[in-house]
Amino acid sequence: MNDFINEPLLELRRAPVRANLTEAMTALDAQLPWRVPVIVGGERRDEPSFTSHDPGTPDRTVAHVTAATPQDVDAAVHAAAHAAPEWEARGAHARAAILSRAAGELRGRRQRLAALAVRECGKPWAEADADVCETIDFLEYYAQQAIALEHADGLVQLPGERNTLRYAARGVVAVVGPWNFPLAIPAGMVAAGLATGNGVVLKPAEQSPACALAVVEAFHAAGVPPAALNLLPGEGDVGAALVAHPGVHTIAFTGSGAVGLEILKTAAEVRPGQRHLKRVVAEMGGKNCVIVDADADLDDVVPALVYSAFGFAGQKCSAAARALVHQRIADTLVERLHGAVDQLLIDQAERFGVDVPPVIEAAARERIDGFVRTAHEQGARVHQPGTVPAAGHFVAPAVIDGLPAGSRVTEEEIFGPVLAVESVASVDEAVEIVANLPFALTGGLFSRDPATVERVSRALPVGNLYVNRHITGAMVGRQPFGGNRLSGTGTKAGGPDYLLHFVEPRVVTEDTMRHGLVV
Amino acid sequence: MTIVAPPTAAPAQPAPPDAVEARVRALGRHIAAGQAKAGRTRTRVLEDRGMELLARDPALRAALFRLVDVAPATSGRRDLAAHLASLLGEAQAADAPAGGFLRRASVTARSAATGRASGPAVGAVAGLAVHRMATRFIVGEDPADAVPTLAGLWESGAAATVDLLGEATVTTAEADRYARRCDEALRTLARAAQTWPARPTLDVVPRVNLSVKVTALTAKVKAEAPEIGIADASHRLRGLLRTAKAVGAHLHVDMESMASRDLITQLVIDLLGEPEFRTGLSAGIVLQAYLRDADEQLDQLLDGIQQPFTVRLVKGAYWEHETVEARQHGWDSPVYLNKVESDRSFERLTKRLLDHRPHVKVAIASHNVRSIAHALALAPDRDLELQVLRGLGDDLQVALTDMGLRVRTYCPVGDLVAGMSYLVRRLLENTSNDSFLLSRSRGTDLDQLLAKP
Repeated sequence: MNDFINEPLLELRRAPVRANLTEAMTALDAQLPWRVPVIVGGERRDEPSFTSHDPGTPDRTVAHVTAATPQDVDAAVHAAAHAAPEWEARGAHARAAILSRAAGELRGRRQRLAALAVRECGKPWAEADADVCETIDFLEYYAQQAIALEHADGLVQLPGERNTLRYAARGVVAVVGPWNFPLAIPAGMVAAGLATGNGVVLKPAEQSPACALAVVEAFHAAGVPPAALNLLPGEGDVGAALVAHPGVHTIAFTGSGAVGLEILKTAAEVRPGQRHLKRVVAEMGGKNCVIVDADADLDDVVPALVYSAFGFAGQKCSAAARALVHQRIADTLVERLHGAVDQLLIDQAERFGVDVPPVIEAAARERIDGFVRTAHEQGARVHQPGTVPAAGHFVAPAVIDGLPAGSRVTEEEIFGPVLAVESVASVDEAVEIVANLPFALTGGLFSRDPATVERVSRALPVGNLYVNRHITGAMVGRQPFGGNRLSGTGTKAGGPDYLLHFVEPRVVTEDTMRHGLVV
Repeated sequence: MTIVAPPTAAPAQPAPPDAVEARVRALGRHIAAGQAKAGRTRTRVLEDRGMELLARDPALRAALFRLVDVAPATSGRRDLAAHLASLLGEAQAADAPAGGFLRRASVTARSAATGRASGPAVGAVAGLAVHRMATRFIVGEDPADAVPTLAGLWESGAAATVDLLGEATVTTAEADRYARRCDEALRTLARAAQTWPARPTLDVVPRVNLSVKVTALTAKVKAEAPEIGIADASHRLRGLLRTAKAVGAHLHVDMESMASRDLITQLVIDLLGEPEFRTGLSAGIVLQAYLRDADEQLDQLLDGIQQPFTVRLVKGAYWEHETVEARQHGWDSPVYLNKVESDRSFERLTKRLLDHRPHVKVAIASHNVRSIAHALALAPDRDLELQVLRGLGDDLQVALTDMGLRVRTYCPVGDLVAGMSYLVRRLLENTSNDSFLLSRSRGTDLDQLLAKP
């Protein structure tokens, strides 16, 4: 699988490439608002009950959306279950070809898709484009992986018997997606389910239903049977009903820790008529730390930290939340960080060069502001220099130091542009702090001593450690992504073993002796 | 695409191609002989041999460059020795064939780092070695400190351009500080240069020449939004242009990676178009021949800048950065992948630049004797400048000044900490397999090196 190549990012440093995107945005704006229906078995029910909007200009409606009802949930699970056997029977090659065609569909309108993510989720262009590319990557990668899985054959064979290991689809996959990677993450989980021959029901985040619709339409246009992929827009109640449905076999979830734990609890309960154990693939939150040793090159550290903490307003599960800095350089680093934060451009996502776009919704802004208030109340030094646009859900980026031990600002996931900086006496003290955290998603280390890099890499429990670089932006096939501990179920999206969570292994052993002869 | 305009001055009877090639070879041999005669000191020979050794051993090369890179950030000799130990250990693991030597070196360094007696000593030696390498390339800690060396260069017939090394600019305060340092350098050097004796070959352009980095003049360099960096850097660069004009110095804007290329090009065009700079200012910009679209960039400069300006033609020093970045993002490489393509581009651009005199004042910055000879062959009037790097082009500088040519030596100024990234870049360049200098030191046949690319 080493021949997989990631979809090339747009070369935004070229002016004509940027002009294309601006044009795509104009074209999209002329179409908005979209209508996002419930899609079950290929049937659309379009009776809008809520809307999604541009976080930077909340007056702008992106989509009128139909929320799924409990009947829709039930119908969708049945449709997926009904479609799955035929879909699985087509074989991995045929399914892979369709996924690859879906990737082509997305590739053909990548500018439009990026524009949609800019509008619906406030993703700056570079991030939105990366989201589109990751979507394509997931489809192509899992297509290839599914073929490899079908040909996997690692059993010992002795004369007189034939042992076969086959990975069968588990049945129905419920995908519950997030809004922060509104295209790639739902598409990735859907693709994993489809590639392995499952029927899928997608419940996207209520903030990004239009992005989900674009993904679903690409799959259908490429030839995924309508009933094999169903779309259930809606709020938390729809997800809850879907997860609880006895016809669901696998739940693929990316989102908050609280919801993830709730899903795990629900999934453990065997409902009437349910004849299987549900499996949960959960990708949850983090409180990601970057360790900076005294020998680090601050010229590299400052931009990397700023991007990791404040890019897309800190709304990535991989974003940097705490910097644990060797005391010898802590003052210098903080001074330079402050100066760098002074430079950040807080503005609408569609503006090229924006550093900090709006956060997703008013409630998010209030939650993040609450953490900053706590920091003030606890007597910490808060550096939050920026001014924010009047309309839109903006939060100015903040660097905070001098927090008391155990502050909720250093303990809880904020999911916004807030970075806490702490001085440590040594790298080992920093490792101790990280090793004692309940989360273990991403981490960072800046050191120019290979021995330190080796020691810290072994000691940290995080799922993805980034050394001497920013800690976000995992690439499919290159940096399989996912966390441990309370950050997730330890699965790796975009990695060589991800599909195993969507299948059940079955072994067939056949006696090949007839009349005392091996035939 | 702009059609290349014919040269404004009536050209001399164009020489037939074969005649040009014959002149290139003759000039090339002349330069090479001058280099050989320039007298190589014993330590320099040893250092060059050391570099050649490094070029042959990628793991050791990586380890030593990383040591140079981290040296200024270490807390003392023991800490430096500890870094040396683990870097050598890593090199040893990476490169089994060289393991014997590396194992011994690594064990020595490790015991030095942990032992009480010898740790500081090994650290001191490593520190000294790094310092010694740095002083070969860097002429002083600050402009005043550099003046005696610059005066000595002038004495020997070479002008200089000074480049102020510094840490990366990530804040406004750092951008302001760099601009202030540049301003002071212009004034300090202009004062000092007044007392230098007349040099008719060099005195056709300002004696003082400062190279500035736009990425150090703003913390807002964004590849996808050049206008933001232009807006932020403008007032600082404008201030420097004013000072340069006032003290009669030349201000040269350096070029870096693709992330800032469009920004720098447009910024220079914008500022040189402002009325106060239309006359009485000497200024210039850099053209990188390894860029596939270097011709378009030259078109843009020729169209955009009305008054005479200088173009320094270089091959380009960010080749690895550009190719790695392009590979990681799935882009077509913006730079030529083969050396021969870059060399051809260099010669094509040389001709275009020379054809655009006097609108363009031409500076050829290369250590490739073929490239220099080619430029000289196309400009029998010798109305061009040749630029070399301090520490790498010293012999070349002597050979060219001996031929009575106008030579300018690129002289970095700054402290050891600031100089590291510059130093590593130069070392990498000098030990890359494409290096003209390295080919020479390996005894590649001169005719082969002078052949048409």
